[in-house]
Amino acid sequence: MAQEARAEFTELLAARGVSRRDFLKYCGSVAALLGMSEMYAPQIAAAVGKLQPALWMAHGLCTGCTESMAQVDNPDVPTVVLDLLSVNYWETVMAAAGTQAEDNVAATVAAGGYVLIVEGSVMLGENGNVLRIGGKPGIEELKTVAAKAAAVIAVGSCAVDGGWVAGAPNIANATGVSKFLKDSGINVPVINLPTCPVNPEWVVAMLVDVLLMGELADGSILKKLDDMGRPKLIFGSTIHDNCPRRGHFENGEFVVFGSPTQAADEAAGWCLYQMGCKGPTTQTNCPLVRWNHRSSWCVEAGSPCIGCGNANPITGGPGNWFDASAPFLTRHADVRLPGIGGVQPSTIGAVVGGVAAVGLVAHGLGSAAKGRVKGVPTETQKVHDAKMASKGGDK
Amino acid sequence: MSHEGHYREAHPLIFVVTHWINLVCMIGLAFTGFYIHYPFFAGFMYGARAIHFLLMFVIIINLACRIILAFWVKTANQLGTRETDIDLKNWLPQKENKYQFMETVKYYTFFRNTRVISAKYGALQKIAYLATPIITLFMAYTGFALYTPAHSWAIWPFFAAGVSFFGGAMGIRIAHYFGMWVVILFTMVHAYLAAIDGFKPLWGLIFLWRETPGDEH
Ligand code: HEM
Ligand code: HEM
Ligand code: HEM
Ligand code: SF4
Ligand code: SF4
Repeated sequence: MAQEARAEFTELLAARGVSRRDFLKYCGSVAALLGMSEMYAPQIAAAVGKLQPALWMAHGLCTGCTESMAQVDNPDVPTVVLDLLSVNYWETVMAAAGTQAEDNVAATVAAGGYVLIVEGSVMLGENGNVLRIGGKPGIEELKTVAAKAAAVIAVGSCAVDGGWVAGAPNIANATGVSKFLKDSGINVPVINLPTCPVNPEWVVAMLVDVLLMGELADGSILKKLDDMGRPKLIFGSTIHDNCPRRGHFENGEFVVFGSPTQAADEAAGWCLYQMGCKGPTTQTNCPLVRWNHRSSWCVEAGSPCIGCGNANPITGGPGNWFDASAPFLTRHADVRLPGIGGVQPSTIGAVVGGVAAVGLVAHGLGSAAKGRVKGVPTETQKVHDAKMASKGGDK
Repeated sequence: MSHEGHYREAHPLIFVVTHWINLVCMIGLAFTGFYIHYPFFAGFMYGARAIHFLLMFVIIINLACRIILAFWVKTANQLGTRETDIDLKNWLPQKENKYQFMETVKYYTFFRNTRVISAKYGALQKIAYLATPIITLFMAYTGFALYTPAHSWAIWPFFAAGVSFFGGAMGIRIAHYFGMWVVILFTMVHAYLAAIDGFKPLWGLIFLWRETPGDEH
């Protein structure tokens, strides 16, 4: 995508059916997403016209995130903005191919100062040969490209911590980008945007934040991230706290599988807690930003949240959203017991409690049989003292 | 039934009160906790959470009072005596408990038939009563890590460390849930042993503050 596109940015928007008014309105919503006053909209609009180069690298993925970026039937503003971003490499959508595409990457890396967007998990298995890019192990490519980047945006759960690819038993030995770069000694700011797939509005908002608002240069972007490297504004409150079904939760009105009133309760929009909703343990702003032109989102559409916004980029594998949420339709995740597999915590509790109850009853019967209930005499000397005394007596 | 007298000095009134508060709070927290875990009947979620959030503060304040009082309230220092000492000394292991752990285990597993010499409490009881504050604190710690208002408290990083230790919000929820089972198991064994070691004198004393004189031998 050529640089000259920047100059006629507004005309290009117009050509794709986006009016300047729509565009400004959209920039206002980006400002809101970034926690800025909507007064910044013109500044954002001006800045979007001179975006820096970016590379979009695909690793161990299902292409769902790319799919998600193109989530619409007719282009909407975020799609157009991304379309016009000077993305010099984006496997799924670029026109270039073969060595020409490789050359684009090399030229961008040589120039430096670009933003690297990574989609998909880093697959370490088979010495990185699980995924090969341009004739090399994928992890080598990632190191080369990340080393010169101004910042990395890990889009989607896979890039953040390995995602479902890293779910147990994780045979590809997948991990997240931030963990991989840290372990490889590559020190570059990484912004983590989990969910499966990523929400395009967050990607646009972060590009604006990093590239346009100068927050990368002065380091202030890092203060806006939580300890998981996620923007606090997006991942700062639970889904449960912003959920339109919350009133039903408080009233104790739940949809229950197989109950005679299930269909009616679903139609009434009752809470999906008992269907395994992970909203209370998941922090994203899905209920506010929503998906697909802000038209709906998982819980609004009738599905319990499956907790895909959870992340564990620090260890980069175990405890990621997939392991922390599966099975999706139960209240708790399974606990993995060696040799047994996934077991629900309530099963473990009930079994242990039941065994203890049986044990106590058996003990009670034993005590009764031994006649202990009537009273037992107490020893007159400790066994230990008796032993010591007999030893002392020998001397 | 044991032969010793059960006198009020063993459990002064204030500790009968703290014990009652513990019991009521634990039953309330476990019931509402079960409900929060899986709302098994309709219409009570707001109430269940409100009660859970109230009782959690009550039980923590009660625990703090119990520990502070242990430093200056005097309690009986042995079984069946009116002789008293600072409660803390009787709460921690006493010299009579030394070497008696395995013997106590043997007694309860029917490998010996005479009761072992113990101090105010037997070796296993001592461990259990030292474990109660720890498990209560564990419930408080994991509970506050689940409590959304805690996210805005200045000490939040202290809880956040635990959240990442348990592998995220789901992990800490499961830890809190398992903690409940530990409390339930403790209470089952604890109440059972108190019942077989002398239901009338022990329960009478701890709940009704009623004395039972010892056998005259
Ligand atoms: C985590 C990433 C994803 C995985 C592992 C995944 C996996 C799959 C699989 C295995 C199928 C069945 C394919 C077949 O019928 O042969 C499927 C179908 C489908 N996926 Fe995905 N998917 C992912 C993400 C997405 C995303 C992000 C979207 C859209 C935004 C999407 C949209 C669809 C649709 C529409 C179908 C149905 C296709 C049809 O029935 O013709 N998927 N997916
Ligand atoms: C001592 C201080 C305690 C605090 C601060 C505390 C706090 C909490 C909080 C904040 C929740 C989450 C409620 C929600 O998100 O709606 C919760 C849930 C729960 N609590 Fe407690 N709690 C405490 C003690 C206990 C005790 C003693 C028990 C049991 C004996 C207990 C059992 C539970 C259970 C089973 C849940 C549901 C967990 C789940 O399945 O998601 N809690 N507690
Ligand atoms: C049905 C429930 C319960 C029964 C029947 C019961 C009974 C008793 C009895 C008889 C004693 C006196 C033991 C002795 O003097 O040798 C005692 C002491 C004690 N119990 Fe319980 N109890 C119950 C529940 C609980 C619960 C839920 C807790 C903890 C949270 C608890 C904590 C303690 C502690 C710490 C002591 C030592 C005395 C003290 O520190 O003041 N009990 N209990
Ligand atoms: S549907 Fe999920 S997020 Fe919404 S109120 Fe119910 S439990 Fe919470
Ligand atoms: S609502 Fe839950 S499952 Fe749906 S995208 Fe958001 S975090 Fe993922």
